[in-house]
Amino acid sequence: MLDSVKRSEIFLKKPSPVAPALQHEIEQFYYWEAKLLNERRFEDWFALLAADIHYFMPIRTTRIMREAKLEYSTAGEYAHFDDDAHAMKGRIRKITSDVSWSENPASRTRHIVSNVMIADGAVEGEYEISSAFIVYRNRLERQLDIFAGERRDTLRRTNSEAGFEIVNRTIFIDQSTILANNLSFFF
Amino acid sequence: MSHVDTSPIKLRKQWSASEILALVNEEVGRLDPRIYTDEDLYQLELERVFGRSWLLLGHESQIRNPGDYITNYMGEDPVVVVRQKDGSIGVFLNQCRHRGMRICRSDKGNAKAFTCSYHGWAYDIAGNLVNVPFEAESFPCLDKKEWSPLKARVDTYKGLIFANWDADALDLNTYLGEAKFYMDHMLDRTEAGTEAIPGVQKWVIPCNWKFAAEQFCSDMYHAGTTSHLSGILAGLPEGLELADLAPPTVGRQYRAPWGGHGTGFYVGDPNLLLAIMGPKITSYLTEGPAAEKASERLGSVERGTQVMAEHMTIFPTCSFLPGINTVRSWHPRGPNEVEVWAFTVVDADAADDIKDEFRRQTLRTFSAGGVFEQDDGENWVEIQHILRGYKARSRPFNAEMSIGQAVENDPVYPGRVSRNVYNEEAARGFYTHWARVMSSPDWAALNATRRA
Repeated sequence: MLDSVKRSEIFLKKPSPVAPALQHEIEQFYYWEAKLLNERRFEDWFALLAADIHYFMPIRTTRIMREAKLEYSTAGEYAHFDDDAHAMKGRIRKITSDVSWSENPASRTRHIVSNVMIADGAVEGEYEISSAFIVYRNRLERQLDIFAGERRDTLRRTNSEAGFEIVNRTIFIDQSTILANNLSFFF
Repeated sequence: MSHVDTSPIKLRKQWSASEILALVNEEVGRLDPRIYTDEDLYQLELERVFGRSWLLLGHESQIRNPGDYITNYMGEDPVVVVRQKDGSIGVFLNQCRHRGMRICRSDKGNAKAFTCSYHGWAYDIAGNLVNVPFEAESFPCLDKKEWSPLKARVDTYKGLIFANWDADALDLNTYLGEAKFYMDHMLDRTEAGTEAIPGVQKWVIPCNWKFAAEQFCSDMYHAGTTSHLSGILAGLPEGLELADLAPPTVGRQYRAPWGGHGTGFYVGDPNLLLAIMGPKITSYLTEGPAAEKASERLGSVERGTQVMAEHMTIFPTCSFLPGINTVRSWHPRGPNEVEVWAFTVVDADAADDIKDEFRRQTLRTFSAGGVFEQDDGENWVEIQHILRGYKARSRPFNAEMSIGQAVENDPVYPGRVSRNVYNEEAARGFYTHWARVMSSPDWAALNATRRA
């Protein structure tokens, strides 16, 4: 696995085109993943996460241009999410329980994934991927939240039906102050 | 012929002091829901609560070097918090005196000066106006000393930075009073003090600020009953179910006799703390050298190692959870919205892996995405929405839990203290103090309500 600094540099240059079949395969994986989340099949979604998953959403700050490189919080600093498989398993246990009031009644989410760019990963069978997302959430009578951002994933090819597992997901959200009462769903 | 009233209908209410005091009845434990919704009360809160209380602005470690600054808010008023060359901290209103533009438009950074981007008026890091473009030609009579942004009083308590606009306010030490005893459970476990994990998480909850502040002040009830069952579930070891756990019952609740502060905690039962912080932090807090040192500094093994899952609010909007170590301000944004600004502190001399575990566990549990805090926002948002209803606002809320159980002669714990942790004594103290502040025209009048 690449360290986070090296991963962040991969897409500073336009990646070389990958084989159309691979592009198609990875996009289809994302559509399937989004469908699982939108249909609240959280156990099935969790099965797409690798045992060494790192699910990370740094905090984004408002900075003057001179200090723009410090815009995102980094490893070891505060974050919106910074979870391993154990913590994610706990989140799944929460969201699938009938006492998880922030998601019972459940949110209605729609994950839109686009702008998928693929580069080879550090080892055979791993891929570094940049994609754009919009997550629309509507819940209860009229609560509406819309989130946009970039997901930077490491995917690893597996023998499973889904074809890949998610090893790294770093979510760069296009908000500084989160304009919602909570983040009780998954990106 | 029927009588027709031709007098104009008055839609905006001017609240009298006696009407404000009647909104909170601590004798029987009643709260008038209009305290959460009324626009006129809210405007008065900005003046009387946020205009003259000591408000949390951050931690000293967030601005270590001269010129380091963070921007923050006092109520709805934006401020700049800057480390000065002499090591002191300056706080000034983030508003240019010329035409009212925001002077500093960054969350944090390091600056030698602040220049307004509208017409270029420039201020030094203490907030003094030092340069005005075309001053000689166009402002021949300008006395720059008179045109600096408003400056606040600043003081700190064991790392936490507080500011106050009111020159007549009590000093911070007196304002905190015996609440300091309880704050020390988080801030004074070691002579090294605390430091903040870098980064402030901000999010918006469409609810009145008092729901959040009161809950951290007084409400162990929601944690011991239904609110956080799924948060606990998220932290339970595999194979253990909710039915296997009984909520802790042994603990204390403290209410400031005067001042609106409050806290509550379990004693000796680690179940809730374990579910929130996991075994590593629970062990750090309850056994070994760090826990022993805390016991020594705090003067008892119980305070050093047995106080668990503590919640606390310093009136009005500084809230934190000792042992979990999330610290936050609830910035009001109108009567119907609050902005949460949260960070985490750790013992400055803790090992790196302990500091990182505090960071990981607090963002897993108490944050916008936290498995505990997610469900708090849910309650407050629904309550606030329901209070749009006229009928919903027309009858009082019940705040009579454990009334009359608190005493002021506990051998260990100062202030008004109850042995029943499921209690609304601290909430009654919080709202009673709110009504005092709101009905007092100035600090002299407010001070007159203090007991000798």
